[in-house]
Order: sequence, then structure tokens, then C-alpha cells
Amino acid sequence: MMLASCNDSDMGPEGSDIVVREIPDAHRDFKLVDTSRERFRYQTRPTSSADAGQSTGPRLVYATPKGWTDEGRSMMRDVNFSFGENGEGECYVARLPGAGGGLSANVNRWRKQMGADPLSDDEVFALPKKKLFGQPATFMSVDGDFTGMGASGAQKDYRLLGVILSADTGAIFVKMTGPRKLVEANAAQFDEFVSSLNVTTGS
Amino acid sequence: MAKKSIDWSPENWPSLIYRLFTSFKVATIVFVLLTLITLLGTLYQVEHGLHAAKEQYFYSWIIVEKVGTIPLLIPGGMLLMWILFINMTLGALVKVRKRWKGLGLLVSHFGMLMLLAGAFITHKASSDGYMALYPGMKSNRVESYRDWQLEIMPLDDQGKAEKAWILPSDELQSIRSDEQRKYETEDLPFGIVINGFSQNATPIPVSAPMAAEAQGKEIDGFKLSQQQASKNAEQNLPGCYIELRPESGDPIETILWAGSFRFDPREKPMPFTFEVGGQKFGALLAKRTWVVPFEVQLDEFIFERHPGISTARNYESRITRLEESQPEKPVEIKMNEPMRYAGYTFFQESFGPQGSEPGDEMFSQFAVANNPADQWPLWSLVVTSAGLMLHFVIMLVSYIVRSFSTKPKAATAS
Repeated sequence: MMLASCNDSDMGPEGSDIVVREIPDAHRDFKLVDTSRERFRYQTRPTSSADAGQSTGPRLVYATPKGWTDEGRSMMRDVNFSFGENGEGECYVARLPGAGGGLSANVNRWRKQMGADPLSDDEVFALPKKKLFGQPATFMSVDGDFTGMGASGAQKDYRLLGVILSADTGAIFVKMTGPRKLVEANAAQFDEFVSSLNVTTGS
Repeated sequence: MAKKSIDWSPENWPSLIYRLFTSFKVATIVFVLLTLITLLGTLYQVEHGLHAAKEQYFYSWIIVEKVGTIPLLIPGGMLLMWILFINMTLGALVKVRKRWKGLGLLVSHFGMLMLLAGAFITHKASSDGYMALYPGMKSNRVESYRDWQLEIMPLDDQGKAEKAWILPSDELQSIRSDEQRKYETEDLPFGIVINGFSQNATPIPVSAPMAAEAQGKEIDGFKLSQQQASKNAEQNLPGCYIELRPESGDPIETILWAGSFRFDPREKPMPFTFEVGGQKFGALLAKRTWVVPFEVQLDEFIFERHPGISTARNYESRITRLEESQPEKPVEIKMNEPMRYAGYTFFQESFGPQGSEPGDEMFSQFAVANNPADQWPLWSLVVTSAGLMLHFVIMLVSYIVRSFSTKPKAATAS
């Protein structure tokens, strides 16, 4: 392949594949990171309220609804709650960079977990919206038999409430599952929790 | 009456081609097909966005449209507009009988040719990108919205680089997601292999549920999940699998993702780093950039919100234009008042970062357009209208003259 020298624009002479150019002074600094997690912006996820005091970086803040138990963070989840007499209801917040797999794919993945038929892109687009971090986010509610990750069988008569926000820099998911009546009784708390979510910086 | 047979001998081909390209029937067919692809392109735009529709229907030579399972070939916008240009040039300007009565039509056809030529110049020579600056920053570099390129740069220990080897966006973005392409250059001590390029993708940790559905190899705990391309091409974040093959030693594999570039003008891009022969290198998907012949320094960004809510009411930028051997020029760029200078137009486009609160420092983003033919549609419309007006006047005068000259005869007859 031909190597050709190039001036200020990133365009090479016709027929060349790789060109070389001087990097302008203002863009010569790069951030050296050690892992793919950092490079793919997984390390910049905000810490949760439960970690307050341990970090001076961006921090996820929220109001814990009455009767819910904060279970702390886990590997893929920024916030974990359980609720109900035996903790059979759960609610969590997760974040992925980029489109996070795509809105329709995630809506339909959750619908599949409830044994519901997939929706078309237009139907997903038409789903109602709730505010999450001040932005309109897609809201879904599905009833059915819930088969969670790694579960051997379906749990009967469940309800799933979900809010998905796709932004330029990432996608944010809030998901609540539990027995239908329990989720119904906690729907107002779910709304309260979703609207309380915010990010703050500093200690 | 016997039909005149056509002489198909090779000697007569130039004449036949000339007759074909100057045919009024061909022009009519081209207009019908242009109407058809405009309709198809508009429908396609609803689903796939403006950029994809332009590429598919108006910049193409041939369109493959499927009717059920049967592929149907339709001439693309580029082919049709070339045929129309040739047809109008030969038919309406060259072949047509030159007489003063036809002057208006001649001028109006020239106006239409200007429109086609302007469209071609816009397609080939225009550029659009953006420049984002925080107050106090200055730059002459414009970034593309949609064109991503591969950059390889030798890095020092502090993460600084002076040179970058670039695989240009035209080449990189032409690689399919299931295709492998190899590149080599004498200046780099390794070969570069791209194993599939996705126009829109997300790296998913293999521990995440959606990773099960992602195709491709797992590298460092991640898979690259291919996404449906966005309607707005500028929102796509491409990704690729890349392999770096040193002359000796094992190949180095990784995933490169556009999200490692920057979302904010102060952010530093995060390249994948590796060592070959004791030299540290970085590999990165970065946006294509180009320079304008002057610098823009953002002095102040004024951002006003509606009372009580975070929605923007008004935003504008006060800048200084800096140019060698020219005095510094303060300019205000507002939402409907762009800066036009040296063939470039700077529009106040947007602001950031997303989710900024009152009191936060914000950056201003300018859309930067350069189109040598941006006024051609206006001028072609003026020329075409003037031609038609002239034609109407000529016809009117001709009618009046004819009326007067035939009246005495009519009177005699009665």
C-alpha cells in the first residue's frame, strides 16, 4: 500500500489507503487508560447514594421509596432495591454506553422475559414516556409469567415496569419486577423513584 | 406509407446516439423516473433518514428496489440527472433552431442546466461539519458529523502524539461487517487487519444479558454488538474488530469503538494502547477533520433559559475571527444570523454538555458549511424565471403584431 504525506486535512491523494498527518497542537493529548472497561466508558458510571462519602466523582442520587430496601450495587447494576414481605419484588438501575443494544431490542427482550410477543419499531416508538434525568424516556408495563436471567422456570402472574432512556453517551435502564399485585401496589413508589434519580458531582 | 428503416451500421452510431440523447421522449421518461425516485426517496427517508435516502436514491447510478422477492433495477438519481443534463444541453441549446422567438426558452433551459450543475458541485465539493468550543478556546478545525476514520499514532509516556497514520473514512466505512481487509505501510512496524466494520455498534460486556445475542468474538470481556443504523447518521457510533500484526510476535486483537473518542471539546480521546518494538502506539476511531483558513475564538457564550425550566430560550456566541495578516474581527453568531466568511458559513447550531444546569460552564457548537454552489439554486431560478418571462413577452408581442397585421385582411373578407 502506498503511504502518502498529507497536509492539514485528513484526506489522502487519490489511490492511497493510509495517509499520515501532523496532529494539530490542540489535539495532541490522549487519555491513556488501562482497560477496555474504561475505554468503553464503563468506569465512568456514577457511584450510588449508598457509596456516598467513598467517592468524589459523579454520584447517582435518589430517594429510596418507603418500604423498599437498598441492596447496594452489583456488577452490572448501579442501584438495587427489593421490596415486598419476602423481598420478592425487585427494582434496579443499569447503564450501558452507546445505544445499549437498541431501544426495540431491549423492550422486546424484557417482553420476551414476560412471555409477551415482540413489538414493532413503530409500536415501541409509540410507547408512553416518563421523565428520567429530565429527559423523555420510554415506559413499558407488561403482565405475564416472568422468566428472569438464569431462572429454571417462569414465575406466574408477574408484572414488569421498565423505563429506558437512550442518550448519545449511553442508555439507562430502570426495571421493576414482582408479583403483579405487589408491583401494582408499588407503582407510585416506582414513579417517585424514577423522578428522584439524578446525578451530582463532588463529595 | 412504409416506415423508414433505421440504419444500424457502426458508421451511423454517432448519429443514433445524438438522436437518442436529444430526444424529447428521453427527457419525458427521465422526468417521470425522477418523479418516481423522488417519491421512493421520500418514503425511504421516513424510515432511514435524510442522509441514507440521499445516498440510496439521489447519489446512486442504479437503484435495486425489491418488489416482493423480485429485484427491480431503477436508474439512480445521478444517472438520470446526467442524462437530463446531456439531453438538455444537446437538445435545448445545441440542436434547437436558433431564432429570436426561441430566446426565452433558451435562457430558461440554461437556468435549469445551472440548477443541475449546481447540484453536482454541491455533491462533489461541499462540506458540512461542526466546531465545538468552550469560552476561551480557539480552533480552525472542523469535525465531520458522520465520517469516522482509523487513526494509529505513536504515543509517549504522557499520552502525547505528534503524528497519526490514518485510514480514511471512505475506505474504512466501505468495509462490511462480515469483511476482512488488510493494510500495510512501510512506516509502521505492523500490519493492520480490520475484521468487520459496523456503522453503529455498542461494546457489551459478556456479563450483560444482551451479550448473548451479540455476534462476534469476545475480547477482553467485551463483544461488539451491531446496532441498526440511526436515522440521523451523525448519531451512529461505529465499531470494528482490529488486529495488529507485528513482523514478529503474536498479533494483538481488540475492539475499537467510536464512543472512545470525545463527546465534549475538552475531553481527551481514549485510544487502545499497545507496544511493538518498544514503541507505544495508540489506535482510535476518530472523526474526519479539516481546517478552515481562519481561526475562531469563542469569547462568550450567552445561554438563556425559559424561567423555571431548563429549556433553552435563546443562545448566541460572541467570537473573534483570527486570520494571519488581517485585523482581529469580533462577530456575533446567533441562531438565525450566521457568520459568512471566505466561503464558509458558521451557524449557531447547539450547545453542551447534555443536562447542563444553570451556572455550569457550557460549550457552543457551530455548524460549519462550505458549498461553492450554495447560491446557484437561487440564480438558476432567477435565470429560468427571466427566460420564461422573456418567452411570454415575445409570444405576446408576436401575437399582437400578428393580430394587427391580419386585421385588414379579415375586414376585407367580411
